[in-house]
Amino acid sequence: MRQTFIFLGPFFRQYALRLILGFVALLGVDFLQLLIPRFIKKAVDSLEKGIATESTLLSIALFIFILAVGIAICRFLWRYLVIGFSRLLERDLREWMMSHLLTLDARFFKRHPAGEIMALSSNDLAAVQLACGMGLIAFVDAVVMTIAALSFMAYISPTLMLIAVAPMPILALVTRLLTSRLHARFKKVQEQFSKLTEFARSTVSSIHLVKAYTQESYQSRQFGRMGEEYVRDNLKVAIVQGALFPFSGLVANFSLLLILFFGGRLTIQGVITVGDFIAFISYLFMLTWPMMAIGWVANLFQRGATSLGRIQRILEEKPALPDIPSAGHSMPGAEKITLNHLSFAYPDHKEKILDDLDIEIAPGLTGIVGKTGSGKTTLCNVLTRLYPVADGTLFLDDRDVNTLPLAQVRGSIAYVPQETTLFSETIQFNISLGREDASLAQIQEVARAAAVHDEIMALDGGYQARIGEKGVKLSGGQRQRIALARALILDRPIIIIDDGLSAVDMKTEHAIIRSIAPYLKNKTCIIISHRVAPLVEARDILVMDEGSVVARGTHQDLLRTNTFYRTIYTHQSIAQEPER
Amino acid sequence: MRYGYGYFEEDHLGQVADAGLWRRIIAYSWPHRIKLAGAILLSFAVIGASLALPYMVRLGIDNYIVNTSIETAERMSGLGTLVSIFISAVIIGFVSNFFQVVILEWTGQTIMHQMRQQLFSHMLQLDIVFFHNNPSGKLVTRLTNDIQNMHEMFTSVIVTLFNDSIKLLGIMSILFWMNWRLALILSLLLPLIIVNTLWFSRLARDAFRTIRTHVARINSYLQESISGITVLQLFLRESDTYTKFKDLNNAYLRSNLYQIKIFAFFMPAIELFSAISTGCIIWYGGGQIIQQHMTIGDLAAFIAYMRLFFQPVRELSQKYSIVQSAMASAERIFQLLDTPSSISAENTKAGKADIQGNVTFQNVHFGYGANQTVLKGLSFSVQPGQTLAIVGATGSGKSTIVNLLERFYEPDQGNILIDGQDIGTLDTMWLRQQIGLVMQDVFIIPGTIRENILLDWEMEKAEFNEIIEKAQLSYLIQQLSDGLNTKIGEGGIELSSGQKQLLTFARVLARNPKLLILDEATSSVDSATEMLIDRAIRSTIVNRTSIVIAHRLSTIRNADNILVMEQGKIVEQGSHTELMRKGGLYQHLHNLQLARNKEPTFS
Repeated sequence: MRQTFIFLGPFFRQYALRLILGFVALLGVDFLQLLIPRFIKKAVDSLEKGIATESTLLSIALFIFILAVGIAICRFLWRYLVIGFSRLLERDLREWMMSHLLTLDARFFKRHPAGEIMALSSNDLAAVQLACGMGLIAFVDAVVMTIAALSFMAYISPTLMLIAVAPMPILALVTRLLTSRLHARFKKVQEQFSKLTEFARSTVSSIHLVKAYTQESYQSRQFGRMGEEYVRDNLKVAIVQGALFPFSGLVANFSLLLILFFGGRLTIQGVITVGDFIAFISYLFMLTWPMMAIGWVANLFQRGATSLGRIQRILEEKPALPDIPSAGHSMPGAEKITLNHLSFAYPDHKEKILDDLDIEIAPGLTGIVGKTGSGKTTLCNVLTRLYPVADGTLFLDDRDVNTLPLAQVRGSIAYVPQETTLFSETIQFNISLGREDASLAQIQEVARAAAVHDEIMALDGGYQARIGEKGVKLSGGQRQRIALARALILDRPIIIIDDGLSAVDMKTEHAIIRSIAPYLKNKTCIIISHRVAPLVEARDILVMDEGSVVARGTHQDLLRTNTFYRTIYTHQSIAQEPER
Repeated sequence: MRYGYGYFEEDHLGQVADAGLWRRIIAYSWPHRIKLAGAILLSFAVIGASLALPYMVRLGIDNYIVNTSIETAERMSGLGTLVSIFISAVIIGFVSNFFQVVILEWTGQTIMHQMRQQLFSHMLQLDIVFFHNNPSGKLVTRLTNDIQNMHEMFTSVIVTLFNDSIKLLGIMSILFWMNWRLALILSLLLPLIIVNTLWFSRLARDAFRTIRTHVARINSYLQESISGITVLQLFLRESDTYTKFKDLNNAYLRSNLYQIKIFAFFMPAIELFSAISTGCIIWYGGGQIIQQHMTIGDLAAFIAYMRLFFQPVRELSQKYSIVQSAMASAERIFQLLDTPSSISAENTKAGKADIQGNVTFQNVHFGYGANQTVLKGLSFSVQPGQTLAIVGATGSGKSTIVNLLERFYEPDQGNILIDGQDIGTLDTMWLRQQIGLVMQDVFIIPGTIRENILLDWEMEKAEFNEIIEKAQLSYLIQQLSDGLNTKIGEGGIELSSGQKQLLTFARVLARNPKLLILDEATSSVDSATEMLIDRAIRSTIVNRTSIVIAHRLSTIRNADNILVMEQGKIVEQGSHTELMRKGGLYQHLHNLQLARNKEPTFS
């Protein structure tokens, strides 16, 4: 709790004026509200004594009206100011989260998948917002109202006040107890709901298999069982809910009965006036809501604090690649990459994925081949600085990458990843992702080189066609070629293609290799491939196995010396196979 | 007939007064009429109890507290009796309320369960065309959120509508009965309150909709940025991404602040009306007391009733928008339920129990869309027990052959025969039971490995073990501490893509179909798994007519017949040796390097 306050402190200070004014307005509402029963009492007493006249009544009525207007204005103010604060806080936190997330490295995102971060940005922030908005208000309001209503009651009759509040602690206790149970059961409902959703989703998305295996009725039965469980879970919630909300009414009514009985006796005995008696009942009504609210507020605060804790943990996450401010000198053309006894293991994994790599990659085309899991993609991740490396192990043009600004290193590498990520924007946007100033002519040029121009033109909208759920659907091969075009347009000194044409058929791949050749000229180019064919021309080919380079040489060298290379080459190219 | 409509639901509001929809909703509720009637009876008890209390206060004041005409002792004991009578009223109110909530939730959930179940079963009966045209997200939304919306209407809205209206009527009649003049004056406020709430609910709804749009934008932007964070970082897009996100976030903030303003304006307005009515009661009611038309107890009761009066008014206005969205959901659900299947099931019958497994395509033409021909006059035939390999580039129509043979789609022209019978005349379910399908993607149900292999099938233990052996799963199962009872899928362990493949072979072997369709996986697996898959394929192909969309050279070479496809046509046909000798496209492809050719399954 204390930590939470320390964390939120700066925000409270930043919006201090807004908050102070808001709470002043809130106090104003409470104060004015408490005055109304006083006026009612005055009217009733004067009526009872028979001294009331039309004009005194009218003036009392007018006073009540004026008070009500004042209350309305104050209410508007606190709502706008305090709830507004919670929304501002939400925005600031979300903005902070985003700017922080953008600095974090791949290690972090491996541990925290997108779904988890989404939940932080939506559910958890909402919980914090609710606690700092309505929760805060309800808390202050409840405390003030309770104190005020109790003192007014005590002013009329201390004994009667004690009698009236006797059932209240029970209400607070039971509410708290039931809300925590409700919370647990409600969580169960949500889990079952997401199970149901996931089941429906997976069934619908593999519908052709469900149908091919004639599993329609089996799936329906399974879905039905889950649905039944969902109904049961909901009923369990309803039982708690059905008890919780009427319970507050029950307790309030008991208080009312107690006042009627004991207060009535006091009135009959002449200890208090009838006006006091009626005003007392009004104060009681004012107490009911704070009592109900206490359980609710406690719950809100608890959830808000838990959520804030989660957000805090993300915000305190240190980027593993501390950014060095750019020293001003840009890379003239970093070309030589040197790996000096470089080893690498993913966080929380013992096993080394890259094991003591000691190689130099010079300008020209370098190919990398190897089995799945041999460390090829990991090597790319390390070269592109998605993961941190130890000092003195990775050099760009003889400069340790750890001494170079991150943006400078990344800015000298164009990368085509194995898994293509495109954004729900136009195709033009996607190709010019790293070079916003690129002209349409330049974009078309690289698209032609990546052999995707004609297909883009055939789309509805051409380069302006939007990709994504509401836009055009692209095949895996088309996506890969767009990703290739996106890298070509960057014109950076180093280009790394990680199996970036795996979904493209052979013929097209050959055409692409030829047409992108001019773009690779005078660059350090690393191509990782499952197929050997694109690497035949490479100046240098590395064969990787279990994190090490086991062989190195040109295509011809490796064919002679390396069994693995020869095997995959013959496996892939039947020309060398003897006929059966 | 093809389905043209897509789902555009974001800003669609339901017609609250659509009689047809209501009739169907009522039809679903009809079997539960006794429970619903019970709930309604209970709501009378709840309302009765809550309205009795202020009246009791009035009785207490007038008859005993201010009544000086009777003995003090009698006043005291009278008060005691009154209190004990009403204790029971309070308890009855509480118990009725509890049971009402539970009964309604039970009924509502049961109805929704039934509706969801019906919708799910119906959806699964629809053709693949339907799923092709409707994104899965939309369909899942029907089953989950739309049903949820309707349930909300069922439990909370119908009850509150009913409870609140009865309550309002009850309060109004008590007020008129106590003092009709004062009640009349107060009811002059009613039109004002109604106009106010309706205006508010319209503004609030619009504001809410804007907020929802902004939330959706933020979420999808965030989702995309996080999943593509590597690319964003490598392309140095951090600051642009941040700026765009900031804009979205600020737009969201603005829409929230607007909503706060609306609520801040209208919420106090109701309180203001409440205060005005109190003022009226004191001013006019007080005058009535002076003129001895009314008692002080009446006045206190009036004030208490007016307090009760404003709560249902507020709730009714809030519930209206829930009804609207529920009606929109109902409309979408019923629309889906009314969607017919496009592949005709008439005049079909189950085929012979023991089929031979002869498959023939006769001049088959097919296109997924109007001007998108995929197959152009395809003819071929596979003899029982033989293996046919199909090779060709992406988009050449290989997967379409599978789709047609499984009767996911119907050919535009030409016939597909199994043992000489047109599959259009065969029962679809029966047809699919004769075919084992192994695709690149695998569907896993949340459950154990055994359940995933058997699905709805049953089998002897020894036979089952043999299948595990043949599908090369024994090694995997030995590795797992729970063996065959290991949970996979949601909440269980994640199998690798190679292991999933093996599991599919086990599924097919368990069903022992006469026909096998195999779309060989191209995703890279380690060499050990590769070998296992190879063995599994060999043991599955035996004794079956097999049609293989082939990527592995070993499979292709061992096939009895090879079809080489290009742009929806067969360009070459023959055995491996024949085709190599011929020196055409096949040989060319082969030489280029046939293996490692990835393609999406349903292209």
